[in-house]
Amino acid sequence: MNKTEAITAVIRTTVDEPIIFTTGYASRIASSVADRSSHFYMTGSMGLAANIGLGIALSTHSTVVVVDGDGSLAMNPGCLLSAGAFPGAKLLHLVLDDRRYESTGGQAAPTGRTDFVGLSLAAGYGRAHRVDDVAGLTGALREGLGATSPQLLHCVLSDARIGKPPPRIVPDLPRHRERFAGHLERVAAR
Amino acid sequence: MTVTVSRDCASALSDSLSHQGFAPFFGTPCGILAPLFQRLEDRSQLVPIAREDNAVGIAAGASMAGHSPVVMMQNSGLGQSVNALASLVVPYGVPMLLIVSMRGVPPDDTSENVVMGRITESVLAGAGIPVSWLDAGDVDEQVAWARSLVVERRVPAALLVAPGLFGWRP
Repeated sequence: MNKTEAITAVIRTTVDEPIIFTTGYASRIASSVADRSSHFYMTGSMGLAANIGLGIALSTHSTVVVVDGDGSLAMNPGCLLSAGAFPGAKLLHLVLDDRRYESTGGQAAPTGRTDFVGLSLAAGYGRAHRVDDVAGLTGALREGLGATSPQLLHCVLSDARIGKPPPRIVPDLPRHRERFAGHLERVAAR
Repeated sequence: MTVTVSRDCASALSDSLSHQGFAPFFGTPCGILAPLFQRLEDRSQLVPIAREDNAVGIAAGASMAGHSPVVMMQNSGLGQSVNALASLVVPYGVPMLLIVSMRGVPPDDTSENVVMGRITESVLAGAGIPVSWLDAGDVDEQVAWARSLVVERRVPAALLVAPGLFGWRP
């Protein structure tokens, strides 16, 4: 499973659940696979994707999906404590782990000895497990979308290469925020 | 007596923020803001967050879900939060009110705080976030200024709190 296959599985398995995509290729791949109003592309603020997802989960009844990376999570592992403090938050937190900073040239990430499953459980997440192929990820997503507590899915990517990266996200970020906020309002009104 | 009056200022601020549509309240504690935190905690309105940039990120989510959140922090935590403001809050135009306590300005001359005390206002102004110093005068009027920006125009804004405003002494 590579990053594109994992993100495609997330998009195919979800319907209109809010999804926060971390900075770099994750957002670019997601927007090229399917650009839905339920997507929030976090083009900067590396490490804060799970915090944004948590803020939405605390404000709505919807399960919120976060597509994080190993480098992003390593930059702000405190986000696990922030979410773990809220046992009722419906947060499905995916970590796509290629052990690389792929968006900046493929440098090695210092996460080889990090146990993301153990880290998240110790921080208070209700459930965490590891998947390493598309079928496993899809099954875990279907189950995780009914989450009633913060859950972590550690997605081990076997192939860091994604080929030619998709183009950068459109620069009109306020309009992107408005589209996403409009989606949250429509979902809440149902 | 000064402390009593100052605690009233913190109470007036929390009352006014609630009455004028602000919620939820995320914060990382600071001694200067302790009376405000206490007031919010007494009413079960305080959501403590371990690190300030995490609080800004969580507030961004709450804001996009339709709320007008408040993030309370010491200016040292504003230092932690610069990238969250510069690459998320400002470019996406995410409305939230920052209440920032000012260590490192008179009468607080502690060496570890004076640099941040000196640059706090220019960091916020440079980011394009409207800033105002809270004073003990008409608190409702000052919160109305914040409301006009955050709740009505849906842009971020910041209120600065001087060391002694709620009774704190170095």
